[in-house]
Amino acid sequence: MTREEIAARVVGVTAQQFAMKTSDIKESDQFTVDLGADSLKSIELVAAYEEAFGLSVKEEEALKVQDVGGAIDFFYRLLK
Amino acid sequence: MKTYELQDVPTPNLLEETFPYTLPPLIKFEGKIKETIDGREVEFDPNEVKTRDIHITDTTFRDGQQARPPYKREHMVTLFEMMSRLGGPNGVIRQSEFFLYTKNDRDTIDACRALNLKYPEITGWIRANKGDFRLVKEMGLKETGMLTSSSDYHIFHKQKQTRKEAMQQYIEVVEAAFEAGVRPRCHLEDITRADLPGFVFPFVQKLERLSEQVPQHMKVKIRLCDTMGFGLSYPNAAEPRSIPKMIWRLRNECGVSADRLEWHGHNDFHKVHINGASSWIYGLNALNGTLFGFGERTGNPPLEGAVIEYVALKGGLNGVNLPVITEMAEYYERVIGTTLASNYPFVGKDFNTTRAGIHAGGLRKFEQIYNIFDTTALLNRPPRVAITDKSGTDGVALWVNDFLGLQGEERLTVMKVAKIQRWVMDQYEKEGRMSSITDQEMEEQVKTCLPEYYQAHRKN
Repeated sequence: MTREEIAARVVGVTAQQFAMKTSDIKESDQFTVDLGADSLKSIELVAAYEEAFGLSVKEEEALKVQDVGGAIDFFYRLLK
Repeated sequence: MKTYELQDVPTPNLLEETFPYTLPPLIKFEGKIKETIDGREVEFDPNEVKTRDIHITDTTFRDGQQARPPYKREHMVTLFEMMSRLGGPNGVIRQSEFFLYTKNDRDTIDACRALNLKYPEITGWIRANKGDFRLVKEMGLKETGMLTSSSDYHIFHKQKQTRKEAMQQYIEVVEAAFEAGVRPRCHLEDITRADLPGFVFPFVQKLERLSEQVPQHMKVKIRLCDTMGFGLSYPNAAEPRSIPKMIWRLRNECGVSADRLEWHGHNDFHKVHINGASSWIYGLNALNGTLFGFGERTGNPPLEGAVIEYVALKGGLNGVNLPVITEMAEYYERVIGTTLASNYPFVGKDFNTTRAGIHAGGLRKFEQIYNIFDTTALLNRPPRVAITDKSGTDGVALWVNDFLGLQGEERLTVMKVAKIQRWVMDQYEKEGRMSSITDQEMEEQVKTCLPEYYQAHRKN
């Protein structure tokens, strides 16, 4: 998958999780500060990414990701 | 002032020589304990406890039973058998005392004897009068405790006697015991509120003189009964409450050896266990306790706590079978029907259950962070987590993994249990729930949210 394809999927999942439009999601958005995620929502978000990409990720590494761009890069590295 | 420099070590120092995890944390001493008696310093060597024959004696069926509805005979026989297994072949639980007054008391002793167990040895308990002593002879016991109250509260206000009359009465029963070939064990009731030099020490010295006439195995034993829990283990506490001073004087001024001294405490001031353990340290061998600490009012030293303390002091099991503690607790609740406090150490339902999410997180990462020792191996009680709005996704993950029996790499991540955690939080935030989530509810959630794991791994 290209980075653009991964970015589209990450943004789509993120928008769905936070009940927002995809156009309102920016790569610079931080999950907690900008999107208002609490700890459970952060975990649910990673779970939703896992489902969208059909893979399981390492918990500690995944939960270190702070923003949308970071999530895109994280999955890009995994799927490369 | 001494300066300490940070030692930035590459691997953790878990201090395993003290916290081996495969045993309860070990109790170690550095140097001697000093005590001031009559203006001069005396020393106690706490490391002596490692070589001395310290042991536990039981009064579950005497003092323990005074504080609760009577046990049925089959309860006592079953607990007695379990106690024997718990204490092991070396007699760490050395003796157990019984009432002798009713037919049920005596039939129970016969039933316990019929088990042919080496330990605990069965002893009796009587008031110090010759009429009661007849019961001991009839039962053919080798040793009996006898109530020899030692404070003026008891002598003057309960027994309506003078000290001389009380002492004369006690001595007569001791002599009768010697004549009958029964070893007397004098229970110096209320000793921590007694006039020690005015009554206790003269009485004990008289007992020692009488003991000179009998063989070693018949010499009088002395039980120090801290009837109201007044005893203090603090160094340099004043008499008569000082445990170290009392033991020192009995050993050094009255000539009673460690093997003939026993501590019997009560928990009125939350000191029952530490006072008992301290009495071992300060030089007596026998610590008297009851299963789960049941006893008059606030109770006695918990027997199972004393067993754990024994292992910690000795640095090994010496034949003790710790999982029997859990067996006894289950029997106590399931068959006898007495509920133990959920936070009660070693046996309570929640003694190794964590509720806080941050603790559950630690437990998930490395069990030893929040478990006192290997409770799975030593007590057959794996650490658990209780699910509430505070236990977090870590807590749910821990619960689910333990429930499914998943180990190592196969353990589920917090992402896999996120749906269950959302259900848990909704219970509190949307439904206004005030109680913990039950195990049954959690199992239902696992069935619903993780059906493939439930089918593959669920415990029977």
